[in-house]
Amino acid sequence: MEYLAYADGDDKVNTALTVGGAPDLVLEGPQRLVSNWGNGGYMVDLSDMLDETDKSEIAASALGCATSADGKLYMYPLVMTAHCMAVNLNAFQEAGADQYLDLDSHTWTTDDFIKAVEALYAHYNDTVGAVFCAGQGGDQGTRALVNNLYGASFVNGTHDGYTWDDPNNIKALELLRDMDGIEFDASLAGGDEIAKFYQGILKMAFCWNIQQQTDPNGAGTGTGKTLTGDDIAFMAFPSQDGSASLCGGWWGFGIFDNGDAARIEAAKTFIKYMCDSEHTAEAVKTATFYPARSAAEGTDLSNVWAGNDLMAEYNKLLPMLGEYYEDTKGWTQARTSWWNMLQDIGEGAGIAETVATFQAEANAAG
Amino acid sequence: MAKQSASMSRALQRRENTAGYLFMLPSLLFFVGFVVIPMILCIFTSLTDANMNSSGHFVGLNNFIRLWSDKTFREALVNTLVIVVVSVPAVCAFSLWVSSAIYKMNGKLLSAFRCIFYLPVVTGSVAVTVVWKWMYDNYNGIFNYILKGTGLIEKNINWLGDPRFALWCIILILFTTSVGQPIVLYVSALGNVDQTLVEAAQVDGATNFQVFWKVKWAQMLPTTLYILVITTINSFQCFALIQLLTSGGSGTNTVMYHIYFTAFKLTEQAGHFGYANAMGVVLALFIGALSALQFKLAKEK
Repeated sequence: MEYLAYADGDDKVNTALTVGGAPDLVLEGPQRLVSNWGNGGYMVDLSDMLDETDKSEIAASALGCATSADGKLYMYPLVMTAHCMAVNLNAFQEAGADQYLDLDSHTWTTDDFIKAVEALYAHYNDTVGAVFCAGQGGDQGTRALVNNLYGASFVNGTHDGYTWDDPNNIKALELLRDMDGIEFDASLAGGDEIAKFYQGILKMAFCWNIQQQTDPNGAGTGTGKTLTGDDIAFMAFPSQDGSASLCGGWWGFGIFDNGDAARIEAAKTFIKYMCDSEHTAEAVKTATFYPARSAAEGTDLSNVWAGNDLMAEYNKLLPMLGEYYEDTKGWTQARTSWWNMLQDIGEGAGIAETVATFQAEANAAG
Repeated sequence: MAKQSASMSRALQRRENTAGYLFMLPSLLFFVGFVVIPMILCIFTSLTDANMNSSGHFVGLNNFIRLWSDKTFREALVNTLVIVVVSVPAVCAFSLWVSSAIYKMNGKLLSAFRCIFYLPVVTGSVAVTVVWKWMYDNYNGIFNYILKGTGLIEKNINWLGDPRFALWCIILILFTTSVGQPIVLYVSALGNVDQTLVEAAQVDGATNFQVFWKVKWAQMLPTTLYILVITTINSFQCFALIQLLTSGGSGTNTVMYHIYFTAFKLTEQAGHFGYANAMGVVLALFIGALSALQFKLAKEK
């Protein structure tokens, strides 16, 4: 078994695929399993592993993102979560900005967000939130932030084109660029932003999820705490009416088609053990995410986190999961174009023209 | 008798040749396997639309034609040339200056200086880059801390996130990691300058500058040529710094990084392997041309 880093894990697999040395199994998300490798013809269709009971037990969103446009199942779902943002509660309290947070529902409106940033900036007179754009790492955060502020979308309904030039996206980008306290930072990617937030430098992070809440920055210094001991509150992204549409994270197993039927069967047995057996609850807990299905071979998974207050609280965000759109054509180029676009906007380029240019680049790759 | 002697001499020569080739064989196999064959494959693939799914079809010079209309590639090429044009003369001049200043020092002091300048070369590039990243940090980096503390700036400078600074920051790191070897080589070359020629020139009334330019510099030309070529190649191949610090953003994209990105990240782009290989061929041509020019100028000199 080999652990792969997010940043270059796909490079290693791509290289292995090119030289015909792909692994049998891989635990990954649908972007790479379905969009990259499945549609590229490298993966085994796992449809035969699902019976009607499985289909009824697996969350529709998980099943949807695991399946290619032509109906092949390239990812057997194991866990899922919703990506969100986080705020430094102590800093918000000191600045008097905590009044804009609804810590019960973990939602807030765009107006609340604006007022909170104003209060924070007035108090700290420094950058309090970063629209990070040094690379594609964590870009679901900046996408969700921009899309939610005024209720726009990232792609069109048929998932064959990008809609960044939606006037509400433009409006959101203008708002963010003009706000004191928010900086378009081309020196930070998602992981860097989390580190700065954890260090107490930034007062909010746009790249967050339950795993970060459980162990901020992977530093092992306490659940929901920054390095300086401040409390961290997870929040949905702000939207005009407070009802956010969050990007989801789904992970599961895929099998590379190495042409050996016996190995493929063995890999399927392993997947069955991990994702659809009495051992699945343990696998889900190890991942510190939520099960992608309600039950597995008679074992109820809906209460897998019973007794864990934090997991139960975070579970409030899951109903806010938006549609899975990472299967849109030209996705790899689109992700590159997105952070390049944010960099240009941060440097002062005209927003409408810049968005149009990079959107055209993304659409051309589709 | 003479015939027998010639025959023995030929046999001896053959034996020596065989031994020589056998000694070379491991390196030769490595060179052919990891340099020559990949180069041939690179040239061949650059003429195809190969990608991860297939070895592609022959497309002639299409990839090369497409390169010149590719804005990102052109920007990467310009950035690469800026790095080379700034970095190579700066490295050569600085290392010559330092070497001239330290080569006459006593053994221990000289060794200490050599160690200091060589340290960044032997330290892992990732470690060096991470330290520089901390120093350049937008929020709590030491450069901003000092500049702000001394009142030179009011607002933090986003060294790696601002295109006005990012490329120069990269060049500075490249510079510090590149000067070590040239300094060691120049110190050695200066130590090997024929002192009788220096003394003769001094007796003839030559000034220090004339001694340096007419006598020492002339004898150091082979070393200089080697340093120029090596530094040029290293500058053209600037990759790790870009990948670790900016991912090619903030106006720091280089051809090497763009090759990697096109080949291994843009895997859904049709013909991405062929296209990336075409960039590799163009880069090799630039390196070859500049190196040849340096050889030619040195020869004329």
